Amino acid sequence: MFAAPDGLTFEAESRIGRAQVVRRWRLDNGLGVIVVVDKTAPIVSYQTWYRVGSRHEEVGKTGLAHLFEHLMFAQTETLAPGEFDRVVERTGGESNAATWVDWTQYRLSLPAADLPLAVRLESERMSRLLLTAETVEPERDVVTNERRERVEDDVDGWLDEQLMSTAFEVHPYRWPTIGWMADIRAVGLDDIRAFYRSWYAPNNATLVVVGDVDEQQLLGLVRDAYGGLRPAALPAATAAVEPPQAGERVKRARRPIATDRVLCGWKVVGQGHPDWAPLELLTTLLAGSPSSRLHRRLVIERELASTVDVQLTPFRDPSLLRIAVTTARGHRAEESLTEIDLVIADLAERGPDEAEVQKAKNLTETDFWSALVDADGKAEALGHHETALGDFRTLNQLAERLAAVTAADLKRVVRQYLVPRTRTVIVAEPEPETEDGDEDGDEEGEEVGEAEGEGQGS
Amino acid sequence: MTVFVESSADAPLVWIEVAIRGGAAADPFGLEGLHRHAGLLARRGAGGRDRAAFDETLDRLGAAIDVGVGRDSTTLSAVTLTRNLDEVVGLCADVLAAPAFAVVEHERLRRETPQVLDEIRDDDASLVSRWFDRECAPGHAYARTSLGTDASLPRLELELARATWQREVVPDNLVIGVAGDIDEARARAIAERLTDRLTSRAVPAPPDVEGVDPAPGRRVVLVDKPERTQAQLRLGHLGPRFGDEDTAALVLLETGFGGMFSSRLMQEIRVRRGWSYGAGCMLRRSRGRHWLEMWMATAIDVAGDAVKTTLDLFADVAAKGLDADETALARAYVVGSMPFHQATARQRMQIAVRDAVYGLPAGYTISLPGRVAELGQADVAVAAARWLKPASVVTVAVATAATAQTALAAAGAGPVDVLEYDAY
Repeated sequence: MFAAPDGLTFEAESRIGRAQVVRRWRLDNGLGVIVVVDKTAPIVSYQTWYRVGSRHEEVGKTGLAHLFEHLMFAQTETLAPGEFDRVVERTGGESNAATWVDWTQYRLSLPAADLPLAVRLESERMSRLLLTAETVEPERDVVTNERRERVEDDVDGWLDEQLMSTAFEVHPYRWPTIGWMADIRAVGLDDIRAFYRSWYAPNNATLVVVGDVDEQQLLGLVRDAYGGLRPAALPAATAAVEPPQAGERVKRARRPIATDRVLCGWKVVGQGHPDWAPLELLTTLLAGSPSSRLHRRLVIERELASTVDVQLTPFRDPSLLRIAVTTARGHRAEESLTEIDLVIADLAERGPDEAEVQKAKNLTETDFWSALVDADGKAEALGHHETALGDFRTLNQLAERLAAVTAADLKRVVRQYLVPRTRTVIVAEPEPETEDGDEDGDEEGEEVGEAEGEGQGS
Repeated sequence: MTVFVESSADAPLVWIEVAIRGGAAADPFGLEGLHRHAGLLARRGAGGRDRAAFDETLDRLGAAIDVGVGRDSTTLSAVTLTRNLDEVVGLCADVLAAPAFAVVEHERLRRETPQVLDEIRDDDASLVSRWFDRECAPGHAYARTSLGTDASLPRLELELARATWQREVVPDNLVIGVAGDIDEARARAIAERLTDRLTSRAVPAPPDVEGVDPAPGRRVVLVDKPERTQAQLRLGHLGPRFGDEDTAALVLLETGFGGMFSSRLMQEIRVRRGWSYGAGCMLRRSRGRHWLEMWMATAIDVAGDAVKTTLDLFADVAAKGLDADETALARAYVVGSMPFHQATARQRMQIAVRDAVYGLPAGYTISLPGRVAELGQADVAVAAARWLKPASVVTVAVATAATAQTALAAAGAGPVDVLEYDAY
């Protein structure tokens, strides 16, 4: 390996994929730089990961982190409105962004020869974004439309929002990343500027660069462009701890849908916890393939549901293992919930056998490699682990943990986590038809029930 | 049999695609959904294994085999870890040559498919696409649903499905792609294994997918769904075949008008007015003539204005083409973006398979940017004048009629026909 350029310190090295080297460097101002030289195509994925997401917002100012996902493309001190996108698209490249609870990431996919452009654009908007009423207001309208499309008029988005806001009472995971509509409309320019000054700084970011690049040249470009940026005094980390849930929470509401929808979630650990690996294999075992337990039981054998999906949300703090069900015509949510309980009870009682665990491992291995096939996928995996969990090397550690999981581990996590008292259930039901076929005009008809201290589960 | 191979040792994975020419466009009239039914049934038990045994065997290998149905082909897609390749190829060959077509699965699928229809009706973006496909050019083969309808699904009999599969799954009707951790010789041996139990018969005649232009005139179909805060909008008309001599110019046009963030539609609808999260335009890629389509989703109160503005923009680009800056930017984007579309072995294989299914010369899509690079503003204007028909745009909106109808009626988009969202 070459000597570290001035102003940069070498910190860590690992592998990704079959043999590609991953190195992390750090600029004196705190900016992290993760590099993978990947010469399989003449392109580069240049991602900037900021350690700020919706968890860093306040009540009444939700949606700020996501709003920046829009504003960061607007105007800077040297880039006129629209110029950012034009110069990227002139290369044939693409730009995009994503925000979630723990992070915000900005992605540039460019021809490898345009690496200097990526460095210039991202360093520019890290510190020289112009935030004015002219740049903010149109994007505020766009975000309200995005929210209408993804939440108000989308039953899956609505279910997701209801689940998180019901399951969490204290932790910021309780509000949606896109923000509440009232907050999106009300947040002021001063708050927007303060948010930018607080979180957009080199010491709160990591560049992840994967592609056909010369590592030494890249580091020189990064040092020259970012080296002069001053680190920010980052706000103290808030440590909201969600209190233990003492009883199942259930919420029902009418929606204009064809059949019942169910989204339920159990409180589980954050992604960095050792139990994450057996829980991830559990999701595969439950609904990750055609022969998985819940798919077979609900969709094929009993025909109670048309789809069932299980996910483990990859959050830093304890979050949820979620099961989503679309019930079949003529069936109700309760029937699916009863079957889910039976499947879980059986797993808690008898556990899977080793062959079933090995099946889940093989399926997970295929998913693991599939996510690392292209430059964007590699950069995204590294960026998430570095930003949400603090070290990109946890990506490989997770693979090792998955390989080591036993049937006994799976049985244990089912008994420990999938208990009724930590479950939250959201049910969306079709609106009833009146005798003349019209809707009955009821409001949403929401009802929330909680039975604190009910049974402790299996 | 046509075979494409793309090798890459980046990951210990191999992807297989087997495209069977003759997709939903070949469904007989009144039997919409037949190819989908046959394809999904073929995957539900094969080679002497019932569905449960087949799924269990495949899952234990960590692999996946899916059968999907498009307008022009039914496609078997598989992914496997390299170490399990031989066994997975055997399972794929079983699906192709020895599907069970079990009665119990046939009956189950007949109960399942209407539920997929329910899911589409619950999702406004899917719903507007289903309705737009029906309304854009009635009578065209692509106007018929690949899923089926409440009327056609009960007519799908097991023997019809089996006969469809056996008629179309013949070696000369297949396009096979293999990509990933595999060399050329082994990939070609796999292609042989996939087909060596198939009977060599005549290839069925492909369906007519050319269609004729509907009668001129604008019209609006308002798909009435309760409690909508937005209007999901699709606008367009029948366009040319992807592969037509004007394709390169139209790719340039669709890119400059609605294929980039910097394109005219996105700038006018989203950036300047904040009306929609996204707005775009595309010529649909298929074997025959397909839609030239625009889309957006706006708040109800601006839906009428958005439709009117979009129609005005479309009329302008039809009359004048792109301006010089738009042309230059779109050209640079199309030429520069090709490395991203062929960065992985799987992408390259899929492009090659798709070109073959569409009846295009080998390398057509990969070489398209080269042809685009030679075009200018005048070429776009000629193609726009030839193919864009602003006076014949069909607008489909999924929205609540009580709040959206008046504004849509005043948008200059033609007469409004209101239909219940679950009527199709």
